[in-house]
Amino acid sequence: MVTLERTVVPARFRTLTAVVPMLCGLAGVFVANIPISILGGLVPPPLLALAPIYFWCLVRPDLMTPAVTFTIGFAEDVLSGGPPGIWTLAFVLTYALVARQRDSFAGLSGLAAVLGFAAAATIACSVAYIAVAALAFLSGTHFPPMAPILGELAMTVLFYAPSTLVVSWLHHKLVGASRSDV
Amino acid sequence: MANAWKIARRSNVQLPLILVVALAVVLVLLGKAQGTLFDKMRAHATDTMAPVLEKVRVPVAGFGRWMGSITEIFSVYQENLRLKDENARLRQWRNVAIVLQGRVGRYQALLHAVPEPELNRVLARVIGRANRPFLQTMILDAGRNNHVLPGQAVMDARGMIGRIYLTGNRTSWVILLTDLNSRIPVTIASSSGKAGNIQAMMTGDNRVQPSLELVSRTVILHAGDQVTSSGDGGLLPAGLPIGTVVADGSDGWRVALLADAASSQDVEVLNFSKPPEAPPASAQLPAEAAGLKPQAPPPAPATTVTPTPPATPAAKPPVTATPKPQSTQVPPPAEAEAVDR
Repeated sequence: MVTLERTVVPARFRTLTAVVPMLCGLAGVFVANIPISILGGLVPPPLLALAPIYFWCLVRPDLMTPAVTFTIGFAEDVLSGGPPGIWTLAFVLTYALVARQRDSFAGLSGLAAVLGFAAAATIACSVAYIAVAALAFLSGTHFPPMAPILGELAMTVLFYAPSTLVVSWLHHKLVGASRSDV
Repeated sequence: MANAWKIARRSNVQLPLILVVALAVVLVLLGKAQGTLFDKMRAHATDTMAPVLEKVRVPVAGFGRWMGSITEIFSVYQENLRLKDENARLRQWRNVAIVLQGRVGRYQALLHAVPEPELNRVLARVIGRANRPFLQTMILDAGRNNHVLPGQAVMDARGMIGRIYLTGNRTSWVILLTDLNSRIPVTIASSSGKAGNIQAMMTGDNRVQPSLELVSRTVILHAGDQVTSSGDGGLLPAGLPIGTVVADGSDGWRVALLADAASSQDVEVLNFSKPPEAPPASAQLPAEAAGLKPQAPPPAPATTVTPTPPATPAAKPPVTATPKPQSTQVPPPAEAEAVDR
């Protein structure tokens, strides 16, 4: 028999727990953008902020709102040092597409769940690449090479499993399921 | 119930989602038009993180050296032989350089040449590196407080690494020569000696070796030609060593950089904003050293006071040929010949 466990959050902590998804996304941005290269810059850092966005977009869209996604993307833009607004646009568009197909993505499990996240990460990286290529076209400079963004996509998907472990642990301990999900 | 939730969600979330997407597009366009706001935020964030980065840098650098030593341990013997061979060749070049340096010094004394503008150098330590898909950068622990300004060249012991493009109070960001947005005017010294110096634009494309865009299509490059900064545009000093020309295998040319941005720990920031030193007095000008004495300007009439036009080069007094004794600083020919040998 399956039993449903649900964390009971006191009312006075509900406001605090409501910002946990955003704080997780910002923490992912900060950790991924620490300018320390352990492997000598061989591989680009993963988009750690995408895992909390994807997870809570499916599980608690009332907490991971478009405005929160915008804030996380803005932080990624500031700390990553790339062209301004690129990751904000990429995260928000990814959020929009995942939210539209929420029922399909939320029903995935196991390897299919990883593939679902890989699809979301592909959308984010594609949007970022296309935006930078468009800016390069307007500036008359070189188009960015594909290899670095593909490397970032691969690293992001590779880090999905450990990131989701942390995020789901925080979700069960601090946030809890929304009333409509139970 | 689920259907009701979806309807409610659409009505509450979809509308701000459209607005947020539009806002993100506006942010991209705003960043393209006015990027200084982002730069200030980045500089402030880096200044705030600088103490943490300096603390983290030491163990991470040690870990990086340890990781590198694992791969290098298998090639120590071959590397030792290569270094011995290179050391022998460099000793020969050192002797040649000493002789040439003395010769250049004598020629400068003979010509009373105006000295090159003196460059201020700021020694800085690399406290961070970022290898992002759209940006390759490093962060230095010197900023505006150390008189580091955007546009200044960054060198390591081997050659040029990049340019400062963002400065905080205590930190600065370097755009590497390999970065997508890096464009440096360079001079290529032809190894054949026939073509002379070739002007080109070195552009980064996030690959290890930046590409070369030749100004003239008729010149022929050779692998191994030396690439230095040309100084065109006045942003960088001329003659900074950058690398050597290599073929990229597809009818194009790239530059194998001398500097290794991935392993450099201490770098120099060259302050080229200082104006060139004032030329020496007229008595030391090359024209006078060659025996041409400038004529004294005619005395101005003291009877009437009229507004004078601004000074122009054409208003300078003409130079007339007047014999002048040779300077005592010129070494005797016998001594010069001995040094030349």
